[in-house]
Amino acid sequence: MRQGSSDLSLALRIAALTVIFVLLQISVVSGVSVFGVSADITPLLVAFVGLSCGSVTGAVTGFAVGLALDLSLVQTLGLTSLLYTLIGYWAGRVREVRDPQAALAPLLVGTAAAAISLFGYAVMEFLLGVDAPVSLDLLRQILIGVALDAILALPVWFVVRRTLEGALPDDPRRRRRRRAYTTGGLSPLSKP
Amino acid sequence: MHDKSVRRRRAVLALLVVLSLLLLTAYFGESSEGGLHSVQQGFLTVVTPIENGASKALKPVRNLLNWFSETLHAKSQRDALLSQTERLRHQLVNNEAEKRGYKELLALFHLDQLGVSDYRPVTADVIVKTPNIWYQTVSIDAGSSSGIQVNDPVINGEGLVGKVQTVASDGAIVELITNPSMGVSARVGTSNATGVVQPKVGEPASLILQYLPAGAQANQGEYVVTSGTVAPPDYSLYPAGLIIGQVTATGEEGGYPVVDVHPTVNLHALDTVQVLTAPPGSRPAQLGRLLQSLPANGHSAGPEQLASTGGG
Repeated sequence: MRQGSSDLSLALRIAALTVIFVLLQISVVSGVSVFGVSADITPLLVAFVGLSCGSVTGAVTGFAVGLALDLSLVQTLGLTSLLYTLIGYWAGRVREVRDPQAALAPLLVGTAAAAISLFGYAVMEFLLGVDAPVSLDLLRQILIGVALDAILALPVWFVVRRTLEGALPDDPRRRRRRRAYTTGGLSPLSKP
Repeated sequence: MHDKSVRRRRAVLALLVVLSLLLLTAYFGESSEGGLHSVQQGFLTVVTPIENGASKALKPVRNLLNWFSETLHAKSQRDALLSQTERLRHQLVNNEAEKRGYKELLALFHLDQLGVSDYRPVTADVIVKTPNIWYQTVSIDAGSSSGIQVNDPVINGEGLVGKVQTVASDGAIVELITNPSMGVSARVGTSNATGVVQPKVGEPASLILQYLPAGAQANQGEYVVTSGTVAPPDYSLYPAGLIIGQVTATGEEGGYPVVDVHPTVNLHALDTVQVLTAPPGSRPAQLGRLLQSLPANGHSAGPEQLASTGGG
C-alpha cells in the first residue's frame, strides 16, 4: 500500500517536472541565444530522472518528454522520443551499475546526455535525408550547445533532485549508508 | 528475481524504441493531412493558449537573460552599424534619383508587382522558438481565426522572416528563411537577374543565392530582395522588394554565380512579426488560387515560371 502511494507520488512529481521543463524550454530557454545557440534543458531532465530513479523510469520519462516536444513544436514525430528514451535508459543504467557518488557525476552525465542528444539528432537527420552535411559551423553550434548544457547541468540536477527527494524508492546514498552501518565498525555508535 | 527484473527492463526499452520507430515511420509515410499530422495540429490548438500564457508571463526573465547575451555583441555590432550607416547614406542619395525614374517606367509599362499594400498584415507575437538547430521554426499567437493561411509570407521591420507552415485556430508555426526546406525567389539589388535564396548547406544561420544566370553581377554589401516570383521548392508568393539579406561573398559554381547572403532579420531575437494575409478576392488571393491550380510538375520549370505580374 505504502509502496503504491510512493510510486504514485514519484510519477506525479516526474509528470510535473516534465510539463514545467517543456514549457520553460520552449517559452524561455530557447528564446535566449548565446553565440547564436540556445541551451536545451530537456535532455538534462531526462538524464537526471534516469540517474535518480533508474533505467525503466528514465526511459519512460524520455519517451514522454520527447513526444511532448515533437507534438508541441510540430517536429518529426518519434525522433526526439527515440533519442530521449535511449538517454533516460543510459542514465538509469549508470545509476544501477556504477552508483556514482562524486559531486561532479551529474555534471558529467548531463554533459554526456546533451552531447548524445545533439550528435544523435544530427545523425538521425542525416539518416532521414535532411540536406545539411557536417560542417565546421554545425560542429561549432553543437559544441556550444553541449557547453551551455554543461553549465546548466548542476542547477538542473539540484532542482530535479530536490523535487524527487522523498519519493525515490531506493536512494543509493541511503543504501550505501545502510550497508556501512550493517557491515559494522563504521557506525558512530560503536566508537568508544 | 534478478533475471525477471532484467527481462522487464529490457522489454520496456524495446517497447519504447519500437513505438518511437513506428511513430517515425508512420509520420514519414503519411501526407500532411494524415492522422498523426492531424493529432499534432490538434495538440497545437490545445497547447497554444498555454504556451502563449507561459511565454507572456516569463517574458521578463527571457528579456533579462537576453540582455546579458546581447550586451556581449553590442560593441562589435555598433562598429559595423556605424560603417554601414555611412555607406547607406551615400547609396540613399543615388537611389532617390533612380527611384523616381524607375517608378515612372513601371507605371508606363504596367509592370508593378505585388506590394505589401496588397496584403492585410496581421501582427502577432512570437511565443515559442524551436530549441534545436535542425528545425528553424517559431510559433506565433495568431492563427486561422485572424485570417492566416498556410504559406502566407511573414515579415518584420528588418525584412523577410519566413512563411506560415502550419495553422491552428489561435496559433501558427512559422518556417524561418533558414529552414532547410525553404527557397525564395530573389534578386540582387536593382539587377533583373533572378535566383533562388536557400539555406546554406551545413551552415544553418547563413543563406545562399544560386541559379542566377551566367554573368550576373553581385557586390559585397548589396541587398538581396524578393523578386515577386514563385520558386521551387517553395511555392508561396512573396511580395517583391522585401529585404532578405546582404551579400557577404561571391563565387562561381560550374560557370554560374553563387552568392553568400547574411539574413538581415535577427532570427534569434524575434518578438513581433507580421503575417501578410490575403483577403478573399484580393490580388494575392487570386494568384494563390492560380498557383494551386497549376499542375505539380509545372513547378519544376524554373524560378521565373510565374511572375506575379502575370497573375494580375
